Amino acid sequence: MSLQKICFAILLLFIFNVSWGQRNISGKITDPEGLPVNGATINLKGTKSFTATDVQGMFSITIPANTSNVLVLSYVGYENKEIDIKNGTVFNIQLKEVEVVLKDVVVVGYGTQRKSQLTGAISSISAKEISELPISSTQEALQGRVAGIDVINSSNKPGSEPSVTIRGRRSFNAGNDPLYVVDGIPLGGGIGDINPQDIQSIEVLKDASATAIYGSRGANGVIIVTTKRGKNGKTLISYDAYVGVSRSLGRIDVMNGSQFAEFKRESRRTTGNYPDIATEDADKKLFEAVELESIKLGRTTDYQALLLRNSIQQSHQIGILGGTEKTQFAISANVFNEKGIVYNQGFTRYTLRLNLDHHINEFIKMGSSILIANSIRKGQNFNPISGALQENPLGIPYNNNGSLIFLPTSDGLRTNPLAEIVPGANVDEARRIRVFTSLYTEVKIAKGLTYRLNFGPDFTNERYGQFTGSQTNARRGGNPTARTQNFSNFNYTWENILNYKNVFRQIHSFDITALHSIQSNQDEYYDARVNSVPAEPQSFYNIGAATIVDGVGSNLTEWGLQSFMGRINYGLKEKYLLTLTGRLDGSSRLAVGNKYSFFPSIALGWNISSENFMSSVAFVDKLKLRVSYGNTGNQAIRPYQTLGSLSRTTYAFGTSGAFGYRPNEIPNPNLKWEKSGTANIGLDFTLFSNRIYGSFELYRTNTKDLLLSRQLPITGGFASITENIGATRNRGLELNVSTVNIRNKDFKWTTDFNVFANKEEIVELYNGKSDDVGNAWFIGKPLTVYYDYEKIGIWQTSDKDLAATFFQKPGEIRVKDQNGDGKITSTDRIILGSDVPDWSGGITNRFEYKGFDLNVFIYARIGAMIRSRFHDNNNLLFGRYNNLNINYWTPNNPTNDFPRPNQNQEFPIYGSTLSYFDGSFVKVRNISLGYNFTTAIAEKMKMKSLRVYMNVQQPFIFATYRSKYKGIDPEGNRELNGDTPATSLFTFGVNAKF
Amino acid sequence: MKKINLVIIFFTLLIVSSCKKLLDEKLVSSVNDEYLNSKAGFEDAVKATYSSLRNFYATERGMTLTVFGTDTYTRGSDGSWKFVNDYTSQLDARTGFVTEVWNEFYKAINTANSVVGRADKVAGFDPVLKDKRVAEARFLRAQYYFILVQMFGPVHLTLQENTAAISTASRAPLADVYKAIIADLEFAISKLEPDIKKTDYGRATKGAAEHLLARVYLTRASSSAKEANDYTQAARYAKNVINNYAFKLLPDYAKVFEQGSGEVNDEVIWAVQYTSDPLTNSTGNRAHLYFLMEYDVQPGMQRDVANGRPFKRFMPTSFTLGLWNRSNDSRYDKNFKSVFYCNKPGTYTINGRSVTLASGDTAIWLPGVELAASVIAAKNYQVITPSKYTPKLYPSLTKFLDPLRPDRTTEAGSRDFLAYRLAETYLIAAEASMYAGNLVDAVSFVNKVRRRAAYPGKELLMEITPADLNIDFILDERDRELLGEQLRWFDLTRTGKLIERVKKYNPEAAPNIKDFHALRPIPQSQIDLTTGGATAFPQNTGY
Repeated sequence: MSLQKICFAILLLFIFNVSWGQRNISGKITDPEGLPVNGATINLKGTKSFTATDVQGMFSITIPANTSNVLVLSYVGYENKEIDIKNGTVFNIQLKEVEVVLKDVVVVGYGTQRKSQLTGAISSISAKEISELPISSTQEALQGRVAGIDVINSSNKPGSEPSVTIRGRRSFNAGNDPLYVVDGIPLGGGIGDINPQDIQSIEVLKDASATAIYGSRGANGVIIVTTKRGKNGKTLISYDAYVGVSRSLGRIDVMNGSQFAEFKRESRRTTGNYPDIATEDADKKLFEAVELESIKLGRTTDYQALLLRNSIQQSHQIGILGGTEKTQFAISANVFNEKGIVYNQGFTRYTLRLNLDHHINEFIKMGSSILIANSIRKGQNFNPISGALQENPLGIPYNNNGSLIFLPTSDGLRTNPLAEIVPGANVDEARRIRVFTSLYTEVKIAKGLTYRLNFGPDFTNERYGQFTGSQTNARRGGNPTARTQNFSNFNYTWENILNYKNVFRQIHSFDITALHSIQSNQDEYYDARVNSVPAEPQSFYNIGAATIVDGVGSNLTEWGLQSFMGRINYGLKEKYLLTLTGRLDGSSRLAVGNKYSFFPSIALGWNISSENFMSSVAFVDKLKLRVSYGNTGNQAIRPYQTLGSLSRTTYAFGTSGAFGYRPNEIPNPNLKWEKSGTANIGLDFTLFSNRIYGSFELYRTNTKDLLLSRQLPITGGFASITENIGATRNRGLELNVSTVNIRNKDFKWTTDFNVFANKEEIVELYNGKSDDVGNAWFIGKPLTVYYDYEKIGIWQTSDKDLAATFFQKPGEIRVKDQNGDGKITSTDRIILGSDVPDWSGGITNRFEYKGFDLNVFIYARIGAMIRSRFHDNNNLLFGRYNNLNINYWTPNNPTNDFPRPNQNQEFPIYGSTLSYFDGSFVKVRNISLGYNFTTAIAEKMKMKSLRVYMNVQQPFIFATYRSKYKGIDPEGNRELNGDTPATSLFTFGVNAKF
Repeated sequence: MKKINLVIIFFTLLIVSSCKKLLDEKLVSSVNDEYLNSKAGFEDAVKATYSSLRNFYATERGMTLTVFGTDTYTRGSDGSWKFVNDYTSQLDARTGFVTEVWNEFYKAINTANSVVGRADKVAGFDPVLKDKRVAEARFLRAQYYFILVQMFGPVHLTLQENTAAISTASRAPLADVYKAIIADLEFAISKLEPDIKKTDYGRATKGAAEHLLARVYLTRASSSAKEANDYTQAARYAKNVINNYAFKLLPDYAKVFEQGSGEVNDEVIWAVQYTSDPLTNSTGNRAHLYFLMEYDVQPGMQRDVANGRPFKRFMPTSFTLGLWNRSNDSRYDKNFKSVFYCNKPGTYTINGRSVTLASGDTAIWLPGVELAASVIAAKNYQVITPSKYTPKLYPSLTKFLDPLRPDRTTEAGSRDFLAYRLAETYLIAAEASMYAGNLVDAVSFVNKVRRRAAYPGKELLMEITPADLNIDFILDERDRELLGEQLRWFDLTRTGKLIERVKKYNPEAAPNIKDFHALRPIPQSQIDLTTGGATAFPQNTGY
């Protein structure tokens, strides 16, 4: 730093010695981080005099006498800057990143494109937005940020990954997950091992023009993840860390001791086994000693509370970026740890990334991205909460001497939930190692013509171990059991890419890409389960010592893809744009003769704002219309379905085992690609001097030849067959708008807003336009609906006789006799709703005042129905297990809310009707407050920059499910199970650069 | 530059040349349909046809549908399936157990069909053995159809393997279903070996097929598909089993249910196989779980392997408990546990005072009769008399207990389930003879069973005369002899006595049971998925 200052001072001395006339101006251009900018153009305003900076960011330009005194500096991705050169000859200039359009260059499939030349529907997320959130998975970065994408957190267990769908679901069987492409390599395994802090940008490709390039798997959209790469210049070291505390957003409201006692009495009154008014005598017959004591003392054990804790979540990342003219590198190491709010759960991930680029000579460049990830996930199949919700609150967990009571009451099924979390009693651990690499060589063959070779081997190995000790609910004093599983995956991608780029006569620009690609995947799996582990401390580490083998298994699955692709981008005067893509894909999973399919697409773009007639419309800076249509495919069914497989059966004759095989799947030798045709109209706009910008998209996707697992009446011997039948449609609109509301010297307020609505529907099934009631698939409805009886209340005493005609009694759930035939039969079920929301959207407000910045991010998902399984699983009203604290019916409390407890009924008739809720919610996903220390202070601490921040994640959820129905968080995939409650996370973090 | 180009060309060629293989699919870790045409595959398909028996016999599914909801058993305190006993409106077309039996048996029937249909395709197979295997498959197919037809009435009938997606189905006339069953069993009788082999124990034999055919004729005889000489035929086949084989009634009723080597005995005609090897035992024999009272929370007691894991599903009705003349008939004592010995020593409050129990002391006594309060008060252990029976505390049926399980939690038992035994053959012969008008024979068959059941020296007292014999007596005798053995619901529906006897003897079910309950509901999924829905595949009336 100080060296620069001295240089500057020395240079100043020269200024006064310069004579007017022709003169030389020189200087250095740096980016906001102080790193040199290579290739920035310097133009003497109003002349044809140009120069560019070299690798050190240095430039020099000769200024003829009596010309302009203004230099215009420009570089892609940075704001243009004009400098007055009247006074001085040496200028050190720092460029500012363009804030308006996040980036001018967008990563597209197999290359990059300038945003103005784009014809497809693509949304981007920058490293800056990702770093705003203390997140553990890449998918979380997308939630509420990009219109057209639905991200759902399906579990709150540490290490679980959200599900992502782009523009709705279209397939029943072939999957609706988007394709993830990391550093050019399509992933075979999940994205969970990628550390979000390594990400430079995420691009979401949505329409067929953008995704057709990945034709084979583009139907569900493509998410391209690009990791940070080195730049040449001074080595930059960064340290980013946060530490936070998360706590549960609430507990499920179950009955306390006295409520449970009364509930149990009522369950006996129903069957005539308890007097109307409680007596001590009757209680003595009904309750056991510990229950009576608790009733007397007014004592309650809250097992749920005893299983929850506050969790610590932290992440530490060290990054080193830098390089020389020939070699650039980016190295990062990260450790992420979430302790988990439930004992025995937790997630730790270590990642190491090494990205290298090396220029062998001016023609050949080679490089690699290497990720090594190691994660340990605990408790993915461990759930003590459901046991705690059912546990009799009148029992006590501990003896006087502090030891656990294994059976708090005499109920043999209800062991102490706290026994589950005794160290070593339950071990559930997944240990995963992934080495994901992407290697490339790029050769400049001739002017504009490059060849690139991509090779991406990807190794994953996961060991899952489970141990269940004797003193657990699963074993209830039986012998301990153990299990180990091993999953290994090897996937590689090999691609040859030719690219030709040229502009002819400054009018016709061409960008032509040709590709050949193969991908091969191999999955292996081993499994062993044993019973009677001799010593509990052996856990699952010596299953050979166990006396009984409960099961062993192994499996191999392989698949492959081969593709040929060509794409032409043509631009006429940068005003009229055309993209043609064609891809021929072959999949091993499909039938011989149907393996290959061709996926074409066409897109047109029109930069309206470049037209002369628009020059008079002052408020429009940029306006572009895009239209595209194309086909994409889906083939992600389980392999081997064209062959038909047999299933193995077990039997024995005497003491000798008799494994058998029987028909299981009907072979379908005609399986072919599931095809989607997507039409998209998009409008990109920038208005009022970059104050308002965004895009609007309208689309329609028709999917046909669905790879459908069609259920069959079992009388034919088979339960289902996979066929290419049926069709679905998705229609929707997306709007992304960013505004700069206030911008002055000290204060800035910007807003990003997006909204997305999609209508998903089944258009046709195997019987043409008729519904499949057995699967709950209905024409014109989304792919999944809730189809059940409609609860209209509780049978009241006054309706006793009517209830009897339905074989029911007062106090039981009354459902609607939809067809009025006086009977409740399966035809009285209706579509209650769907888990597809009407619309979703996000709004982010950012405020900057001097060094302070404040971000508030709100996410809404409206109109979906949710099934909350703990609202029926913990509402058995059996009088044996603890129950949700609800307003149940009694002869003196003629409510229509919940049925009457009944000791002779393990669960209420039509109990499932208690589990459907409006799943709409508005969440404050994130509030963060940061402070950027001034450069002066940072430099004093030997840093280039320093930012500290506080962040609250998910502090508020607004939903009737939560406020009215005692739920915790309505966000989930179709069914909520209430095992690990949703959390709110408060973190403190630091971003430092050296 | 040149070198690099060469390398690139090399790799490109390498990849292109390996591409063809990349898209070829090859099953490695599982086998495809072609396998069944091989010798080993054919044998495996026969074995697979047997495996579905385990879905029904000695499972909660099979027992729920045959044990309670009858005159013999009502519901205990636990379980999700009490409505099957109670015949409430919850017993409808979505009842899981009903659907599961339906689904599994049709899969099994398709497997049997593929054995029958492919036999000629298998090369290099000894023709005698091949016929035997086909006969086994046809025996099993008859067994599955017979259970289906008794449960559902007219059912879909397919005797050919399906290899394509078929969404049509229909309910074949009852007579056709019975004809197919009888044809299968006649074929089986003509091809199967008469002797039970020690190796391959559990495979179908000629004797098993004759026993089943006797049962089938007996059942058809009272159905709408009856034919004139059904009872004669039933008696004939039952007598064949009694006379033409080495089967013998064991002298002691209790020995029939002795676990381990005792299970394979002269009285067993055919047993559904379970084993102590978990790898081939799948979910195991679970019959030991369902008939036991909640002894494990009583003073002085805790759960152990010998006493079993009490699921408290089935509680004997007071009608059942009163069936035996206990001074002559040993079967009450041999069926029910009357004493529990302390396995959790300690000091407890029993009969109002503090009692210290040592290991092995009597902890619970179920005398089976009422006792004077003073007698009870004098005991240093809990006395549970019939008036104190509750859905949690009642006499536990011991014939299925499985003390050889590895630990007290294990649910998958290893006992064979004795599906056909000679005592039942005698009772089939008796019922058939009675209806065929041959009362003397009928009485002698009943007496054969009753004499065996007598306490030593009481044999004559157990004998009955033709005047005693009627269908109610036979049903009672079947209960005394075959209690819990997954026959009762079929016995009652066969004899048309279900509604009458349930109303009379099963207090929980009595108010709800209707005539239509003599058939189970056709699974809703079957109706929904069949082209034409309820028109093509109508539901049983009442549901």
